[in-house]
Order: sequence, then structure tokens, then C-alpha cells
Amino acid sequence: MKITDFEKDGVAVLEPKGKIMGGPDATMLHDRLHELIEHGKKKVVIDLSRVEWMNSTGLGILISGLTTLRNCQGELKLANVTDKIQSLLTITKLVTVFDAFDSVEDAIKSF
Amino acid sequence: MKEPIVTADCIKIPSSQEFLPDVDGFIEAKLRAFGVEPSAIADIAISITEIVNNGIVHGNKLKPEKLVTVEIGRKDSFVEIIITDEGNGFDPDQVESPIEDKNLLKEVGRGIFIAKSLMDFVEITSSPGSATRVILRKQIQDFSV
Repeated sequence: MKITDFEKDGVAVLEPKGKIMGGPDATMLHDRLHELIEHGKKKVVIDLSRVEWMNSTGLGILISGLTTLRNCQGELKLANVTDKIQSLLTITKLVTVFDAFDSVEDAIKSF
Repeated sequence: MKEPIVTADCIKIPSSQEFLPDVDGFIEAKLRAFGVEPSAIADIAISITEIVNNGIVHGNKLKPEKLVTVEIGRKDSFVEIIITDEGNGFDPDQVESPIEDKNLLKEVGRGIFIAKSLMDFVEITSSPGSATRVILRKQIQDFSV
């Protein structure tokens, strides 16, 4: 898995690419997300358009980021959720927990 | 053993999550060879990584000398996968539902639930003190025809 990130309008945008299944790939996303939070970023968007699929480890990382950010009055939002990941969010009822948007632009504007 | 052992229909890995991509690569290659359609490949691969991850972490407690074995085969209209660890088992009836409100924000505990949701058949044979064996089956349409 590869991760790129950039900042726009004070919002950190993470762009993971590949599969998030546990192991080194998952650690990379978890570490980068928490690195941004430790550096004071409170508004974070994860663009999932290039994530082929994820399992419960990936969902756990998203929850970890969300709860950590909310604990410091921040927020994590999702953008470009693929059908496969949307299906996982629905069956696990996490669709009720995350704010998801059709584009990164829309997610940034929502803050 | 420090590396996966791969045979025609089986992969054995030491209990480390660094080998999950090896399992995924092996399984996806087999499923493509079986002619399974892409969406079902993802469902099966996700489910297998869930159960294998449980075997590595909860079953074998990340002890590298203990193995997780994944066997795969196609039987008529379905794919069957058998995953076995070398741990001390658990009581499947004690696993909490991850969709209860009190568990919704927990970072772990969704693996079996997701596998049961994505697969057509999941049978867990385990009890405290014995290794765990999980059988997964999914009906497939032959994408190659």
C-alpha cells in the first residue's frame, strides 16, 4: 500500500492506495494518520477512491482516527467511498458513525 | 519456519501479520484460476484475511513457531476454504455482536461478523484448549465462461 497526503484550506487529506488488510499496510495508514493528529491537524479527510478493499483492520484504523480526533475536538471525514467499502460500512452499521462525501472537495467544504 | 510454505492448494504461514499479503496473493491467484468473478474474489479475500488474522493474533498469539494453514478448493458451484490455527481455541458463542451500540466504536471484534456477512457458509469448530478450524464456503458464478 502507498499513502500520499496534502493539505488544503486547513484540512489534511490522506490518499491511501491498495488494500488495507492488516500487517505493514495497515500500520502505515495508522501511523500516518496519528502522526498528522500529533502535529495538531484536527480536520482530516481520507480519500478512499484508490483503496481496492479493506477488512476489519482497516475499519478499526478509521474508527481509531475518528475517536482520537473527536477527543480533541477534531473530525475525520471520508470521501469517495467505493461500493465494496460502503457495503462493509453498511453491514457493520459504521455508516451511522462516519460522514462520507462524494468528493474530496465536498468533504473539505463540510468542515 | 520463517517464510510461507506454498503447495498447489494450501499455504502455511508463521504467525505474523507480515504474511497476510502472501495469503491474499495466493488466494486471489487461485480464485482467478477458478474463474471466480471479481466482486466475489474481494468478498472471499476479505473474509479469509479476517479469519487468518484472528488465527495469527488470537489463536496463535503471534508466536512465529505456530502456523496458520489455509486450504482452498473448488467444489462444483462453490469455493471452500479451510483455515486452521494451532492455538488454544475459544468459545464462538461468547463473541459479542459488533453492531450493538456499545460495541460500535470498538476498533476490533468485527472479523467473524464480516466473514459471516460476506460468505454463504461459515462453520467454526473451536473450544477452549483446542485449535480452531474454520470452514468458509461461497457460491460462485464462473466468470471465465
